[in-house]
Amino acid sequence: MGVSLSSSRWRSVATTAAVALTLLLGAAAGCDSQQEPDLPSVQEKLRESHIWGQPVLRIGVADDEPLMGEIRDGDHVGFDVEIARYIAASLGYEGEHRLEFVAVSTEDRIPALQGGVVDLVVSSFSITEERKKLVSFAGPYFVTTQEVLVPTRHKDTIRTIEDLRNPKYRICTSGGSTTEAELEKNQVRTLVVKDVWDCVKGIRAGNYDAVSSDETILAGFLARYPTEFEIVDMPFGTSELLGVGVPIGDPALRDLVAYFLDKSYQQGRSGEASPWLTAYNRTLGPWLRGEKRQPQPLDVPRLVDFDDKAPQR
Amino acid sequence: MSAAPATASDDPGADGPPPPVLRAAAPPPALPIPAGRVEPTPVALPTEAAGSWDQVERRARASQSFWTAVVGVPAIFSVLRLGIEAGGELQTTLLLVANVGPVNLLAGFLTTAARLLSTVLVAVFALGGVLAASGHRLARRPLFARWTEITPGWFVVASFLMALVTWPLLYLPLLLPAFAAAFQLRPERLHERAAVRALIIVGGYAGYLWLLVPTLRDAWRQGEPLPIVLLVVPPLLALFVAGPLPRMVIQPLAPVTQLAVLVVLVWAALPVISTPVLPLTVTTVGEPGATSAGAAEEIRGHVVTTDDVNMVILEQRGGVRYVPVDQVRGQVLCPSEEELPRYRLRIHDFHVEDSLLEGLGRRVRPVHRVDAACR
Repeated sequence: MGVSLSSSRWRSVATTAAVALTLLLGAAAGCDSQQEPDLPSVQEKLRESHIWGQPVLRIGVADDEPLMGEIRDGDHVGFDVEIARYIAASLGYEGEHRLEFVAVSTEDRIPALQGGVVDLVVSSFSITEERKKLVSFAGPYFVTTQEVLVPTRHKDTIRTIEDLRNPKYRICTSGGSTTEAELEKNQVRTLVVKDVWDCVKGIRAGNYDAVSSDETILAGFLARYPTEFEIVDMPFGTSELLGVGVPIGDPALRDLVAYFLDKSYQQGRSGEASPWLTAYNRTLGPWLRGEKRQPQPLDVPRLVDFDDKAPQR
Repeated sequence: MSAAPATASDDPGADGPPPPVLRAAAPPPALPIPAGRVEPTPVALPTEAAGSWDQVERRARASQSFWTAVVGVPAIFSVLRLGIEAGGELQTTLLLVANVGPVNLLAGFLTTAARLLSTVLVAVFALGGVLAASGHRLARRPLFARWTEITPGWFVVASFLMALVTWPLLYLPLLLPAFAAAFQLRPERLHERAAVRALIIVGGYAGYLWLLVPTLRDAWRQGEPLPIVLLVVPPLLALFVAGPLPRMVIQPLAPVTQLAVLVVLVWAALPVISTPVLPLTVTTVGEPGATSAGAAEEIRGHVVTTDDVNMVILEQRGGVRYVPVDQVRGQVLCPSEEELPRYRLRIHDFHVEDSLLEGLGRRVRPVHRVDAACR
């Protein structure tokens, strides 16, 4: 039949098909342009989260970890605090009248989240499988390692994990921390106190001989007393992934925090000054050995936001 | 325009009822052409001599109705929009009327409605071109065909140019078949030799696809078939879209498509009418002396006017607030949720849902910060 079709007939059929298809595509484009985005938006997630409509956001931070979270001249300062401020501003809470920092100790972080005392915890909170059963984590926003801080009087004698096992030395750490579990695994007897700060005070008073904790926390005390202490690099096997703690019943808020951490990560990757990098350079940067970069946050949801159309290059 | 000479003059019978454009011209416009000339129908003089005069008069009336529409439609739309913006409240509408200048209103209207306007014009001219090419097979010439014939070519080109800069990039390829249909451009126009013609077409299409490869790959990965089809298929359709249609197709096509365009116009006009006239802001308000946190309030809405005493804010949820200016602590401009994109696709870093104008604008001001107060 195709052979018998004249050129004009063929042309006419082609035109008909082309016109019909163009109309169809035009209609499809018209319908498509009126549709809502498939992906959830940041605003939708905000409305789902428990903080929606809340006038003030409460964030749990440490108040006794120099460089990470401490109070200086009545203000909360530190790397964790800066990260908390960035997340809060992204969630719509900017300025002191919208944001309340609640001081939480290491062991109180989980109960504070569970009890609704705080909406988020940004306080050197290591992501572990055990904790994931109790709270949700967004992040990591920092990868650190476990180290040991020794007073200068012991800097030549405490060099290895073996030295820590020596019953002569009294090793201090904070309760409910991942360090406590790691030291136990390495058969190091520890004296457990409430906060790392108590250990440092104890060492200065001569009650303890070394304190083990995250490198970030120890760097803070080293910054405070640069002539009295030294950080000893020990081969503890694990790396600590610091995350933002979120109540386990609020997956929307977790997604939002993860989304904004990832946004900062993407900015840093493209060479811009990311909020993370600014926070790092202002606090930890000068005191840590080796260059650090923001780690890629895990389980980042795909969300739509107002600035998605902005040029990426 | 190029399509007109082929079919326009050979059909005096088409003069029957006046084109509906003229009915749209009903409100007496303040134009130099006397209103009385609009009234008589051209059926009265079907002689050959009257034919050319009739064409002249038809063009004059078309021009008159065109300018009436250009001035009148935005004005009417803008007033309707003010009513909707005011939440249907008479007093609020009057407040807006008193404070929103006509120039601002028109500029605001054109900003938000340019896309709709160019879409309708392109649809009318493209369909008009198709119907005009095969209109002689019908007893009565379709409306769009007549409109297309009496419209000057420059206006049709201007409509396509407006669409080019205001349509989202994703839909721009559709302009190719629309343009070919409006001007009835066939590939034969490219070159007289078929081999050269094929070479030009294949080369052009290959270059076009090469430009789009990263975008198409992303769309494929994200499982979005529609963008792929919208980007790849329309240029091919442009090759075949010009030419007369069979009688059995054109007969149902003419009324159905014309009705569809009008229905779509109404359907698409509704969101445009309800688009705000004034920019969305969040104003932080608090007592002048107060320093405590609880004293501040954030008002989400549109600032109608500000004078020495008060800032008048039309709240987003409804109602008007008069805020003493000394209580205003801060104000930020916010995006609205209608601006959220649907796709995560870019064509060489231009978002597919941005128009050329918007894309270029984002090049000039690349950083976009959503203020915390807008959340």
